[in-house]
Amino acid sequence: MDDILVQALIQGLLIGATYGFIALGLGIIYSVSGVINFSHGDFVTLGMFLCYSLWSALALDPYVSILITLPVFIVIGAALYRYLIQPIVGVHMLMIIQLTLGVSFILQNGLLMIFGGQPLRTPSAFEAKLLFVTDSVILRLTLVVAFVVSLVLACVLYWMLNRTDFGRSVRAIHQNPRAAALMGINVVAVRTITFAAGFGILAIAAGVLLPGTPAHPGMGLRYTVITLMVIILGGMTNFFGIILGGFLIGVSEAIGTVYVSGITGMMMPYAIFVLVLLFRPQGILRRAS
Amino acid sequence: MRSGAFRFLGNPVFWLVLAAAATMPLWLSPYYLGVATIALFYVGLALSWNIVAGIAGQLSLGHSVFMGIGGLLSSALLLKLGINMWLGMAIAAAISAVLGAFIAWLDFRFRLSHLSFALITLAFAEMGQLAAVGSEFLGGASGLFLPADHGSLLDFEFGGQRGYFYLLFTASMVCLVANLVILNTPLGYYLRAMRDNENAAQAIGVALLRNKIIAMMISAVLTSIMGTAYARYSGFVDPYQFASPNVSVEVVLFATIGGLGTVLGPLVGAGFLVVFGEIVRGQFGGTLPGLHFFIDGVLIIVVILLMPRGVVPTFVEWWDRRHAAAPKDPGMIAEVPTKT
Repeated sequence: MDDILVQALIQGLLIGATYGFIALGLGIIYSVSGVINFSHGDFVTLGMFLCYSLWSALALDPYVSILITLPVFIVIGAALYRYLIQPIVGVHMLMIIQLTLGVSFILQNGLLMIFGGQPLRTPSAFEAKLLFVTDSVILRLTLVVAFVVSLVLACVLYWMLNRTDFGRSVRAIHQNPRAAALMGINVVAVRTITFAAGFGILAIAAGVLLPGTPAHPGMGLRYTVITLMVIILGGMTNFFGIILGGFLIGVSEAIGTVYVSGITGMMMPYAIFVLVLLFRPQGILRRAS
Repeated sequence: MRSGAFRFLGNPVFWLVLAAAATMPLWLSPYYLGVATIALFYVGLALSWNIVAGIAGQLSLGHSVFMGIGGLLSSALLLKLGINMWLGMAIAAAISAVLGAFIAWLDFRFRLSHLSFALITLAFAEMGQLAAVGSEFLGGASGLFLPADHGSLLDFEFGGQRGYFYLLFTASMVCLVANLVILNTPLGYYLRAMRDNENAAQAIGVALLRNKIIAMMISAVLTSIMGTAYARYSGFVDPYQFASPNVSVEVVLFATIGGLGTVLGPLVGAGFLVVFGEIVRGQFGGTLPGLHFFIDGVLIIVVILLMPRGVVPTFVEWWDRRHAAAPKDPGMIAEVPTKT
């Protein structure tokens, strides 16, 4: 294999792990409450801008800022569910989509009003460091950090879902919320906690993605679309399916950018998405978790 | 129920408002006439989106693609191949119709849920914008400038502010009439039956695929025509203005705040919010860009939590209750989505 392909594959896998990780947050929220958050990507942007503010005010490295943004996002996630989404759960699916689209507009334009429309860069300790795998295959260290953090936390999440009481109650609610409530599980509390956890994931993902990525208020919708494609590819609630979907989108994006010129290359993940959807509408892995 | 449209059309208030709107070019300043023209454009978009989303209950986030085809393709055909814009508008509308039929077929073939449909159409919208940015023919990222307007009707030139006001006025009225006609013909009943319970509708013999395709095609064609009209009015087209998924989201917010599934809801929602937004933008655009969208975002959350059916149906219901003797007007408060 030539070096460019190897480079593209590795880069795609690295970024794909983070996509998968962000999508897992959306996936567990969906599996317990049937809610898809269309402002998911805008919260990634919000996390990035929080890190940027912490850097410009206190000169904190984005990796350190996660310690501050994580609790903030957990509170935001819980509050969003309790005060905005829970009152309309079960009324109509479309309402939740429209409401979260409204949240997306608020975030996007709120950030635009505060920070303006210029892309902002946040420096970090590892930003300029490169890893040489071979002589011609070079990786940015920040991507490797994002990859490792995403995979480790995905493993923690998997362990939590399968081995702890909280994880069992999450799976019980996914299978049958009513029966779970009858077994003494506090459904509302579990849903609130999963929302908080899903948003915590976003805070971490925003922090590890930020070094090397210019942040712009309008980029949230793109993250939302990528995340949505990943979880559809993964079959909505299948843990490994979502991780695999992340890799698939990440790799197709990297290969598209390298081999197909310019913007047309950026369409590669979408083309793959439509093709997979046409031939395997149930997602890339059939079995549900 | 069947008389809904006719009562709507027979209502003197409706004709008074329409007449007042039609005389706007005579008494509005050029700036506010421009605002009114933009408002009419969004009214048309919201009404044509309402056919698919409100009446048929499929929340499409991909309508920016149809608008992009209408605006970008017809302009590119004129500039690159010298095709008359009337013909360009028809070609763009035909392509939009085919694409709309394909999306409706996808929805039927895979029995997409509301959620998957929204997700997939959003992916289409994102893909459409990328395709437009990447296409040299459609002007790419830098966009296309349309030739100067000489007021020649045969070349799709309407000669200045007033002409375009009437163009968009007519186009949005066509969308309004399309909504009224659909609501009051069998198609409207099929679509609402499918929206409320797809399986039950199929069981009593409603042809799902056929009706889905028809609704989506009508909506796509109208959206595409609005796109062409607005492209000629603004004189400059680019993918960020015409094919951005944000346009779809704006239309969703306007129509939902007004009241989805009704005729007056999207009309009042888009009309009022665009005028309001343009005024806010005129006042604060320099210091607080995006303030009007921020306010729209807050409004939709408030509306969904407090009056989930939208402002117009809630207001009409309140009005009816106050004037209990007055009969309800079914054309105005037609069905609104309740439960899936």
